[in-house]
Amino acid sequence: MSQDKTRDERPEGATAPEGTTFSRRHFLTSIGIAAGVVAAGVVPAALMAPSASAEDATPTTAAAAPSVPGGSTDPLAEIIAADGPVNYPGHPVHYAKPAGKEKWAMVIDVKACVGCRKCVYACVEENNIGRTSGFTYIQVLEMEPGKIDLESAVLDYDEAGRPDKWYFPVQCMHCAHPPCVYGCPVQATWKEPDGIVVIDYNKCIGCRNCMITCPYGARHFNWVRPEVPAAEINPKVPLGEKAWTAEKCTFCVQRTRNGQTTACVEACPTGARKFGDLNDPNSDVAILLKTRRVWRLKEEYSTEPMIWYVG
Amino acid sequence: MTMTELSTPQPGIKRFIKVDWNIGALKTAGPRYWSFVWMLIIMTTLGVLAWVVVLTTGGNAMGQRDNFTWGMWFADYMFYVGLAAGGLVVYASVHLFGAEQFRPLSRLAVLMAGVLTMIALLGDLTDLVRVWRIFWFVVTPNISAIFVYTGSAAGFYMVLCFVDLWILVTGVGGEKLAFRMTLIALPVAIYLHTTTAFVLALNKSRELWNSAVLVPIFLTSAVASGVALLLICAYILQHYHVLEFKKSMFRSLATLLATVIIMDLFLLVVEIATVYWPTAAKAGHTLRFSEFLTGPYAVQFLPVLILGVIAFSLLAGRKTRHMPAVQITASALYVVAIFFKRYTLMSMGFAIGPLGQTQTPYIPSLVEALIAIGLLSMGMLFFTIATKILPLRVPLEEHEEADASERADTQNERVLEPGVAL
Repeated sequence: MSQDKTRDERPEGATAPEGTTFSRRHFLTSIGIAAGVVAAGVVPAALMAPSASAEDATPTTAAAAPSVPGGSTDPLAEIIAADGPVNYPGHPVHYAKPAGKEKWAMVIDVKACVGCRKCVYACVEENNIGRTSGFTYIQVLEMEPGKIDLESAVLDYDEAGRPDKWYFPVQCMHCAHPPCVYGCPVQATWKEPDGIVVIDYNKCIGCRNCMITCPYGARHFNWVRPEVPAAEINPKVPLGEKAWTAEKCTFCVQRTRNGQTTACVEACPTGARKFGDLNDPNSDVAILLKTRRVWRLKEEYSTEPMIWYVG
Repeated sequence: MTMTELSTPQPGIKRFIKVDWNIGALKTAGPRYWSFVWMLIIMTTLGVLAWVVVLTTGGNAMGQRDNFTWGMWFADYMFYVGLAAGGLVVYASVHLFGAEQFRPLSRLAVLMAGVLTMIALLGDLTDLVRVWRIFWFVVTPNISAIFVYTGSAAGFYMVLCFVDLWILVTGVGGEKLAFRMTLIALPVAIYLHTTTAFVLALNKSRELWNSAVLVPIFLTSAVASGVALLLICAYILQHYHVLEFKKSMFRSLATLLATVIIMDLFLLVVEIATVYWPTAAKAGHTLRFSEFLTGPYAVQFLPVLILGVIAFSLLAGRKTRHMPAVQITASALYVVAIFFKRYTLMSMGFAIGPLGQTQTPYIPSLVEALIAIGLLSMGMLFFTIATKILPLRVPLEEHEEADASERADTQNERVLEPGVAL
């Protein structure tokens, strides 16, 4: 933005080239046309995309700038700006501390992932996922080489680390434009200011529309009352109140807002997972996004996931 | 003209909210009627008990699962809301387009629409284990969630149907008010079916649902199945001498049905062509649709096409279209076809999940089946009792007016004039 300002400033004594001088009438006409165009665009956009925050609409210098290493602008600025709160009720979800100034993101190196599912198990233990509930937050897909073909992926593979396959962990992407949040009829799920999409289990009516709207199969329903052995219960995470509600990855909100990393990152034996704050230029995620060729799952859906893949 | 003028004091008739409730008719009803009513009461009770099981033991009593997120209740919701449309189209065509041949059907049609929407809404509620949390719909509705629109539309539509019925039965406001109500009810009906289709179509996460053609398909399927059900009900009520209709009315209804069926089938074929045409085909779409043409879901989808084509063929022949047996068979086939279509549409979102995993077909659990049967029985119970005690028969004077208006077009225009000059 500062650059734009600098460009607009006219040096002292400079005159406009012939034919480009602005009369007041021209100026007012231009303003009128611009306002009309903006209004025409904003009305349907506001109707169609209720999530779009003021931050989303503000163009940043990064939008026009090439996102290459060594560039003069921050290529992450646009991503950070888009990752604002959605349907946020103004206070954090009851089982988490208030959000800080971070913008959380994750980068997963699929080249390093061996499909051992250690992240899956760590996540189940950390997040009080019912042992008989029949789902996990993280789903690791065994993929065929040479393509990203989900339809030929195997979810319940037996043997990990096969050299002729690659492994693709999928979980809640904490999208900047989360279809699940848009689809919840009662605003029982929202995106907090630090980008974490949370669910209020005491408000969820159990209609499961969020599971329909999520393109990543990241949300799961507690068809049974979640059961966790007493010795394994994590007191920082809700348990009983999750019965007959939808749940999903919270980026371990109980850990990450207390200075820790997520359970899956901690458990990964190959270091394939990196988690951190995009606002911190020295964080692993910020460095990886700036320096590596990264991609996101179903990018064409415009959900703007906050989990990137590399490898 | 109002019912006040027409009704004569009879024993057993109780007047309440300006309606003559013929309670005496229940006392004189035969054993066959009562055995049918008791059967419906038992089925409804079983449904209520099944719902209590869900409320106490939770969602695992249902056959739905993590990857088959919605089941029987949703197929039923689409089905019943659609069936309700037929009633409204017939009612609207009488008061809006002057289709006087359908006038004797109007009260029956509106009653049917109201009852069907009621059981559709109740079906939604029975799926929620913590149904009391529904108040959040009112407290913090999310304007970007289509559920808010379709749910409120269904609720409003149901109330509108019962108010319409009251207006038609009591004659309050006369033809003018009936016409004005149509002006409200018809857009609301279109809105309801559009928002119901949007529950599916607005999901980019579900490839086969994410199609704009779903909206017109919902409208044609709704009108076709609704008219078909109305035709069957009209024959049943005529058989039991509750109502009487002219043969020409059934012929008009059958012609309307045939027209809508072919439109409905056409839109389906258009959608299939879009999925498979080489320049349009996407791997995810074709793979998913193939599950319904040749895969394990074919038993759900092929009946839609087969029964639909048979139903249309039966009604297409001018020489056979007027025969009651043909009309009833075709109507029944198409109602069944549309049920399969709703069930298939529900399955289309889940047959292959968003992460590409193929799911085995969903079959409702006993509890879900009992809830569904219970709700249907409850609707039929309402309907059976209403046909006995409510004055559904359109008074003779209205018929005569209609006949007179049919004879002279100019007079017909004059009848509608007060409404037109709104």
